[in-house]
Amino acid sequence: TSPEEFFKSGHTNNWAVLVDTSRFWFNYRHVANVLSIYRSCKRLGIPDSRIILMVADDMACNPRNPRPATVFNNANNQINVYGDDVEVDYRGYEVTVENFIRVLTGRLPPSTPRSKRLLSDEHSNVLVYMTGHGGDGFLKFQDAEEISNVELADAFEQMWQKRRYHEVFFMIDTCQAESMFQKFYSPNILAVASSKVGEDSLSHHVDPSIGVYVIDRYTYYALEFLETVTPGSKKTMGQFLEVCPKYQCISTVAKRTDLFRRDVNKVLLTDFFGSVRNVELLPDSIHLQNATLHTHSEDSSDVKSDKPLSYAQQFPMPV
Amino acid sequence: MPGEEASEEKDKSIQHTAALSFGFICLIIGIPLWWKTTEVYRVNLPYSDIADLWNTKFQFTIDIDVVNLEKSWTDKDLTDLSKLLKANLADDRKVGAIFPKYRVAVRQAAEKQSSDVTSLKTLAALDEYFHGEESSVNKYLIVLMPVNNAVVKQTTIGNYRAVYLPAGKRDLKTVSSEVTEILHSVLVREDALLKSFQNFLGAREPKDKASMRSLSYHQGYDILFTLVNPQPDILDIDWSIKEAVEAYLSPMVKQLSDYINLDIKSQMLFFTGLRRKPHKDKKNSGFYYEETDLPHTINPLEANLGSHASNNPMLNFIVYVPSRDQHPLHIVLKNGEKVKTNSFLSPQWGGIVVQNLPSPPPNSSLPVRVTVDMKTVMEVFLTQLRLLMDFNIQVKKDLQVREVGNDVIREWELDNWLRKKCLENLATSISTLQSLTALLEGISNIVIQDDIGQQVENAVTGIKEAHRHLSSGQIARAFTQSRKALASSEKAFFDPSLLELLYFPEDQKFAIYIPLFLPIGLPILGSLFKAIKWIKTKRKQKPKTE
Repeated sequence: TSPEEFFKSGHTNNWAVLVDTSRFWFNYRHVANVLSIYRSCKRLGIPDSRIILMVADDMACNPRNPRPATVFNNANNQINVYGDDVEVDYRGYEVTVENFIRVLTGRLPPSTPRSKRLLSDEHSNVLVYMTGHGGDGFLKFQDAEEISNVELADAFEQMWQKRRYHEVFFMIDTCQAESMFQKFYSPNILAVASSKVGEDSLSHHVDPSIGVYVIDRYTYYALEFLETVTPGSKKTMGQFLEVCPKYQCISTVAKRTDLFRRDVNKVLLTDFFGSVRNVELLPDSIHLQNATLHTHSEDSSDVKSDKPLSYAQQFPMPV
Repeated sequence: MPGEEASEEKDKSIQHTAALSFGFICLIIGIPLWWKTTEVYRVNLPYSDIADLWNTKFQFTIDIDVVNLEKSWTDKDLTDLSKLLKANLADDRKVGAIFPKYRVAVRQAAEKQSSDVTSLKTLAALDEYFHGEESSVNKYLIVLMPVNNAVVKQTTIGNYRAVYLPAGKRDLKTVSSEVTEILHSVLVREDALLKSFQNFLGAREPKDKASMRSLSYHQGYDILFTLVNPQPDILDIDWSIKEAVEAYLSPMVKQLSDYINLDIKSQMLFFTGLRRKPHKDKKNSGFYYEETDLPHTINPLEANLGSHASNNPMLNFIVYVPSRDQHPLHIVLKNGEKVKTNSFLSPQWGGIVVQNLPSPPPNSSLPVRVTVDMKTVMEVFLTQLRLLMDFNIQVKKDLQVREVGNDVIREWELDNWLRKKCLENLATSISTLQSLTALLEGISNIVIQDDIGQQVENAVTGIKEAHRHLSSGQIARAFTQSRKALASSEKAFFDPSLLELLYFPEDQKFAIYIPLFLPIGLPILGSLFKAIKWIKTKRKQKPKTE
């Protein structure tokens, strides 16, 4: 596409919110799911500063992990999706329904650091990926609480009201996942789910050396598709929505395109998964007069303190 | 026996009086007490004011002064011109959500002014003369130049607030329509203002290039200058960025210090580069990037730029010195021509300029010290900054604009920016308040604290004040008020306390109250009915016995 067409897509930056909601060792595959999607997003260009990664449990440093500091998504291929440059923004018990809603709506306490905020604006395309255990109308967080589809729809409406997104691509890989996007009513949301209401999403294969399933079916086939995508690729979202037919996934992949204004067959995959920039050449510049550059001498006002520095008392001992 | 009957009657009447008094206390005192103690604390918000603001039409006032230096025009000509101008400016412009009001004054120049002007030989001198004499914020000067003036051959817009029109040979109608055209397309631009106002109010029209390129207003921007040197072992690059920023950028920062905070930082990056391989130029020995290669060069670089701590948007300006195996590197247009500035910008992000520094001569001791020409680099960066911060205004080819030079921002461009950002801030505040009230009215379970009520009040007052200042033509004050209104409305909307009460949902309220009230309620109601029936029978008895 020529640079003129970039301006037609309406977005100038990309964000990703990737959430894994399950805890415990036997839910290893959910952590592998979300880290694999994280790797794909990074490879296609979205920087860490614009990815919010929420992982509910620590598999890499789990005492039951026979290969510490690694998480694999395939028993054979051995790609370490944890790597040494992963940046998890919300970890362990910080992954709660309240924090997730606060991230989406922006109602975070003022002390929240920048890396934990979703600073999207009206020109941002946001990819939201959720995985874990779900049911009809809810998604389980941390084995203790749930987020309902009504709350999620309200959160997206809050985002729309405050112009915090241009378009959203919502991907969910859980059981009965379709129910989570049924209540959406805000415009410009494209949604895909790994199973319909009443169906379970199944996992793909087990790694005999660790004894747990390492990836889910829908995410496995989605990744297979994403591996063929390069940052300059022309593949469309329409092709992505057809990934994992019933004979591969066993559950039926459901999608929702009625809220999305553009034709999915004309939308590039990199509009959501990558970060292709618009550029504008500068034909001419203003002309400045030569100004004399004054070199700064050492500021004599910075008086060097003579007091020697020391560490503060770590444990206030009784004198 | 009458004694027993009487005492039985007495017992019954005591019982029923007791039941009645219990019922009385429950209904008259108990229920209001329970209602009051379980209501959610919600401060009163000015809902009607906010609804009114949605429908308010904002008027902004502009002053125009027309000064005539053309000797052949009489006072009558000037009165006619004034009438024509007023008619032109007040005509078919529809009254939209925002509308302009022009105050036009036409006069003859003083003798001294005419003689002074004939002695001025350059446009710069002319501009300085009128700047000193008559310029003030939001007041535009249209100077009708005499026919024999050597300096102004074509309609020219100066750097302050004056427009120079060679009026000599033209008639009144063309002059008046030209002035109107300049006002509508350059100095005031009502159409652009209306479009962006409606956009920020919620219209979501498809965007044009200019509005997608510039950042929307925030309380401050962070600006980061980076020098990328992939081979520091070969070239030791000296860029006096601190001094260059001090010399070229500080005047602009100071000019804008009342309106926006610009926080400037700089850094150097080593051993990293634009990872995309450039094409080899077969004709000359060199390398080039085409426009289609450029979008993919930014991402790998951005990963290394580092993040920062504030919540303000960041603009990145990068000087890239190519490695020796890609030297010299140029950016070319579709037709093969080199881009003069060798730079490009990315909307809402920043810009990159490629500096081809000379390679070290053979047999020199590495690393060789080279210096970056900060003037050319800052020229490119300041142009990009003007575009990214929405100061730049496209002017039609037939109008001449004076070269801006070291001032970087022309005063009428600043006025335009203040007006536009003020209206955008007002629109954003109004739509934020609107969605906040929709949220709070929709969900009755949210607690509204005092400080949120205070912020909303401040926002509403700020918007009204800004409107008042806009109508009287004081855009700087209007802008400051709009900035405060924006900050208050955002603070109220994004307050962390505005989450629905999760432990007292509406549909589960009955389940909470039934086990508390039903066991007591049934006996009390039962005895109340019995007591009332007893009173009725007593009343029926009384007339009988009477």
